[in-house]
Amino acid sequence: MMTQSFTDTSSVLGIEIGTQNTRAVMFDIVEGTYHFLASGVAPSTQKAPFFDIGEGILAAITKLQLVIGRTLMDHDGNLIIPTQRNGEGVDKLFLTVSGGPEVKITTFGLLNEVTLESANRLAQTVYGSVKDSFGINDKRSVQDQMAALLAAQPDIILFSGGTDRGASRSVVRIAQMIALVLSTLPQKNRPEILYCGNHTVAKTVVEILERQAKVSVAENIRPTLEDEDLQNSSEELSKMVLNVWSRQIEGLSRIAPLCSEPPSLSSQNYQRMMRFLGKLYDPNKAVLGIDIGSAYTTFSTSNSKKCTLSILPYGMGDGFENALNRIKIDDIEKWLVESVPRDELKSILWQKTLTPGSVPIAEKGLVIDQAATRGLLEYTLKEVKRQSLLVGSTFEPIFISGSTITHAPVPQQILLTILDSIQPTGVTPLIIDKHGLLPLLGAIARQNALLPVQVMETSAFINLATVINVESKAPDGTSIVNARITYNSGSYMDLEVKQGTIATLPLGSGEVGTVTLNLSRRTMIEGLITPSEPFKVHGGICGVVIDARGRPLALSKDENSRREKYKRWLFMLGA
Amino acid sequence: MNASVVQTHPLIQIRRNRTLPVPGTVLVRIGQKVTTNDVVAETEMPSRFHYVDVMRSFGLSTPAQAEQLINRKVGDQVDKNDILAETGGMFSRIIRTPRAGTILSIRNGQMLVETEKYKLSINAGFNGKVVELIKDHGAVVETNGVLIQGMWGNGRTGFGPLQIDEHQLDVELETASLGIQNKGTVVCAGFCSRAELIDAAASLPVAGLIFGSINPDLIQLAQKQAFPILVIEGYGKTLINDYARRLLVTNAGHEITVNAVKWNRWTGERPELIISLPAEADAYREIVELRVGQLTRVNTSPYAGQLAMVDSLKDGLTTLPNRIKTNAVGLKFLNNEKAAIPLHNFELIDLDNRYIGTSK
Repeated sequence: MMTQSFTDTSSVLGIEIGTQNTRAVMFDIVEGTYHFLASGVAPSTQKAPFFDIGEGILAAITKLQLVIGRTLMDHDGNLIIPTQRNGEGVDKLFLTVSGGPEVKITTFGLLNEVTLESANRLAQTVYGSVKDSFGINDKRSVQDQMAALLAAQPDIILFSGGTDRGASRSVVRIAQMIALVLSTLPQKNRPEILYCGNHTVAKTVVEILERQAKVSVAENIRPTLEDEDLQNSSEELSKMVLNVWSRQIEGLSRIAPLCSEPPSLSSQNYQRMMRFLGKLYDPNKAVLGIDIGSAYTTFSTSNSKKCTLSILPYGMGDGFENALNRIKIDDIEKWLVESVPRDELKSILWQKTLTPGSVPIAEKGLVIDQAATRGLLEYTLKEVKRQSLLVGSTFEPIFISGSTITHAPVPQQILLTILDSIQPTGVTPLIIDKHGLLPLLGAIARQNALLPVQVMETSAFINLATVINVESKAPDGTSIVNARITYNSGSYMDLEVKQGTIATLPLGSGEVGTVTLNLSRRTMIEGLITPSEPFKVHGGICGVVIDARGRPLALSKDENSRREKYKRWLFMLGA
Repeated sequence: MNASVVQTHPLIQIRRNRTLPVPGTVLVRIGQKVTTNDVVAETEMPSRFHYVDVMRSFGLSTPAQAEQLINRKVGDQVDKNDILAETGGMFSRIIRTPRAGTILSIRNGQMLVETEKYKLSINAGFNGKVVELIKDHGAVVETNGVLIQGMWGNGRTGFGPLQIDEHQLDVELETASLGIQNKGTVVCAGFCSRAELIDAAASLPVAGLIFGSINPDLIQLAQKQAFPILVIEGYGKTLINDYARRLLVTNAGHEITVNAVKWNRWTGERPELIISLPAEADAYREIVELRVGQLTRVNTSPYAGQLAMVDSLKDGLTTLPNRIKTNAVGLKFLNNEKAAIPLHNFELIDLDNRYIGTSK
């Protein structure tokens, strides 16, 4: 056991185990403040044929060692903890997990539109999939519901019944029904249950269920008809998912004792960081975080009052088959920058479902990958909006991560992928989390709040651009904005932007400039009450971008003119 | 650096766990010879219930009161209209079961009667020998022979004589290959892009279909078929790779098992073809270290289905033609073209395991 306090420590190693990749990330104190040093990435090994996370961790740390030129493991491959006098080793280790087998969840509630809906939203805060949902309005007979529960073979049952001091008899009846069904299952096949309903009957519910399965109780997710509070139960549910994974993923329990905090779900830590960031930025807007993983796409929004988390089972690798089963091929094809015959497009997309970690080799593959990313982002964003899972509609900033985004060779391609699919409004800085740091920073924050704060202030994150979205009813080609950027040196640059175009003002990463906008009549910027007043902007590798293409983006139905337009947009951004 | 392996062998020892997801009865013994369809283990699973809330039906206030009125216990067999609970007395109220079944559970004044069940069984999957029993769940079955793993399967398993027409391997499945002489056989073709060909195969029916690739529009149709459809390379119009093709041609006429399961990367279960042969063989390797000179099969465009040799191992990141930087390996294709291929885009074919006979 380690007894050091964080004040004695400097170096921190974070390990994130994803579905496809395992990432080892090193933080250390440089000139008095914590910095991100480097990361090493290797294929994850919890799946066949390795069936153990150890190999992937070893390979990731080996790569990290090469980059930082520092020994972290001894000759037997054991991590050296704490740092030795000769500089070898690391002081603290944190581990987060996002890549495990599908966790099957069934949800129970009373009214479909109230507690059951909340239970389903709660299920969406972890890496799992809802196999069936049961409410008192269920049209199936009790017998059919029981058969459905058995067929679903859940790993976890989420039971959210009633508002506090609301209906209690129905809640007890559901508990009895669940107990009856579980009693027919072999002990080791019984799911764990999370009760997060009417607190006045929690004791009775536990008495009924605990003879059949392990039951945890969290705060009521729907204490009143109007209020929903998922935070406490989401943390409890995350622990349950990790419990399920600990039984299924070899090596987790072996490595856990080395960690300074018990391993935790990446999503939980991601949300912790988003909650923190939400308090730092404009209270009238929200911070948006999007992680496009191999199996899941995660959305989190946050402001000073509220923080949401939503994990959808669609990704660009292991979750791509789910995505293709939901997204129309037209909604991917419309984003192609070059012509690809439809049959070939379908074959390449579906082949990706069989090779989830593959990387496009040729230009055509890249074009298809980027079109698919747009399609996925557009679809998933629509889903979270449909379920009202976003705080606000204007975001400052947007954090984005995921290898599909970060491996794009040209930053303007990343920029357009984000802008086309998310179509942000107002003034939005876009930040790339290239090394997938947010979940690890969230995990470290449980022990050391200083490290994440200091790392966020360094260049560990890439400022892609600050995007100013201008909306106007003027016809295409009409001049709608005259923009001036004034640099700290006093020099300035003017730019005229026409409706239907996208333009960029150069302002490098780390630089701050002042933008003055002169808008034509019937032109506005959401959230900017007095746009003619100068305002400060941060630069990025794509500068300050003025997007005057309109919201929603109007895409030509003609394939050729649409593709020409895409190419022109890329050209306008300097690609 | 390790790479994943697609098992493609002319003669190898094949061992597979054949287990039920829940406890059941194991029906085989160690050393027993089994054929593809022999049942290794079976159990019965409830599929329909009759649910009775005795407490509510009798308007009682506690489960204990209800349970006093239930005159059955868990495990009892009941016939249609049998009494499950009664209040007694002169005007006794009675709850009867509407169907025959077994009392599954009595809890909190409620009863659950299993009225229908289905048999869940696991068969041997290929001709072989039982080498190990897995208590209450199944057995390990072993054979020696040809093993060819694929990329996609429609979820079915079957077997039959392997029908090879070499011309058919170079083109799309043709109706000529689906004549009456092909009834009950496993038919191989380069690829399949038309629904009517699957329908024609189903109407014979064939014992199985093996393709190099399949049109993704046919996925749902393929999944509806009762016979196995296994795809070796994936989606599109890619032909079966030369190495697997040679193994199939060499073994034409042999009985082949087509285990067209969906590829499960968590369990390692993968669609595969097995031809049992009366010869000794060694086990294959699951994990192989990458070396120059190894044979690989590329899984993604523009090289999908092509064989290549490992030409160079590259340190650090490699820049691909589309300017993506990633971990890659230099491969040399059979036409001498060289290309850097990302690690996840190909699989090794482990030729070092190509033992003929026992090697000690």
